[in-house]
Amino acid sequence: MRTPRSLTIEITSRCNLRCRYCYFFNNPEVVYRDLPTGEWLTFFDELGSLGVMTVTLAGGEPFIREDLPVLLEGIVRNRMRFAFLSNGTLIDDEIAAFIAGTGRCEHVQVSVDGSSAQAHDSCRGKGSFEKVLRGIHTLQRHRIGVTVRVTIHQHNVHDLENIAHFLLDELGLPDFSTNSAGYMGTCCVNADEVLLNVEERKEAMATLLRLTEQYPGRISSSAGPLTDGRMWRRMEEARAQDKPAFHNGGRLTGCGCPSNKISVRADGAIVPCNMLAHMELGRINHDSLSEVWQNSPDLNQLRTRHHISLAEFEFCAGCSYIPYCTGNCPGLAYTLTGQVDHPSPDACMRRFLEEGGAIL
Amino acid sequence: MNQIDKPIANPIVVLREEFDDWAVLFNADNAAAVGTNPVGVAVWKLMDGKKDIEGIVSEIKNRFEDTPDAVGEEIAAFVGILAENGFVGLEQDSK
Repeated sequence: MRTPRSLTIEITSRCNLRCRYCYFFNNPEVVYRDLPTGEWLTFFDELGSLGVMTVTLAGGEPFIREDLPVLLEGIVRNRMRFAFLSNGTLIDDEIAAFIAGTGRCEHVQVSVDGSSAQAHDSCRGKGSFEKVLRGIHTLQRHRIGVTVRVTIHQHNVHDLENIAHFLLDELGLPDFSTNSAGYMGTCCVNADEVLLNVEERKEAMATLLRLTEQYPGRISSSAGPLTDGRMWRRMEEARAQDKPAFHNGGRLTGCGCPSNKISVRADGAIVPCNMLAHMELGRINHDSLSEVWQNSPDLNQLRTRHHISLAEFEFCAGCSYIPYCTGNCPGLAYTLTGQVDHPSPDACMRRFLEEGGAIL
Repeated sequence: MNQIDKPIANPIVVLREEFDDWAVLFNADNAAAVGTNPVGVAVWKLMDGKKDIEGIVSEIKNRFEDTPDAVGEEIAAFVGILAENGFVGLEQDSK
């Protein structure tokens, strides 16, 4: 791929909420500074010239930027589509009408963590449940695609059935996705009160696997308990049948993102992914994005991570699941071990089983 | 005049050329994307609203060796699919 097809851009480091598991804030390696409008517009012109197809606007909270319509005009002018990752609490009729009018919005992903204010607000702050519901209804009224992400933590793990009913039956959303609070940013500060323990993780996996049968094709994940439950079940089956579970299993193949997309921090630093925010590859409007994309030594090293055998790691010594494992997310591997080229302990099936977990 | 005789590339469509000479045509207005080979890329670049299909086919035959006998029909079909999906506009004959 000559240039990235899509980018995630943190257009602001400001946010109106302070969620207790937020991966974004409290990262000592990140500079929390916003760029002026003109810097982003210049960068969007570059993206247009490179044939980038979609930008996902994140933050911080992207709807906090007062110049958002101007930024969106810059994206539209450069023949791109856009999406949002948002907490959903700042969306009003005016901005929703503007977004709908562009005809270029893929979707707005908002976070809903509970079927009630008690569960949702526990980690996201008082009053946020009411505001996000207002935001969802506003988006629906303007016929803008809404997707919901449920982040699972200690305070909503027992609410998953209600959440599914609330989102799919009551709000009538076509689907939603899940993940879980991960050991990054603010979550590291609140880990004991937020992260799932083994029993809660087991419960979340069981509930989500059951709900996916109850709501076929309407609950998805790319990380968290549902993904772990599916992957570990597949690994166990593969081991029992002595067959491969994943292509090129037994190596660090858990992440293909650097081959398809790239990210930009709010201060303009180009990074491989928001989960690898410390890894500065260059700076927008100073370094050519195509040059970074094609020739950055760090990015190219990340792309060859799949050559590294899990058998090389002391962490994996003696593990019978090595041939069936992918090592999972390099971002979590970095925050937990200090190394990007390392399997993520968070996704270690052997450790989960040793601590009392079970494959369902 | 048949309207499709002089196709013109929709200026909103992005042509993403990749290392292997294949490319993606992406219509940002409807999110439609089409993968195409080097001949398709060349056809795309020739659709300027001034050349008719015959002219485009002739140019392709000049540029590529060993073009199949059915290249004319294949290019017409390709242009037709692009037109149906909003990738190509149709230059109107004003007369």
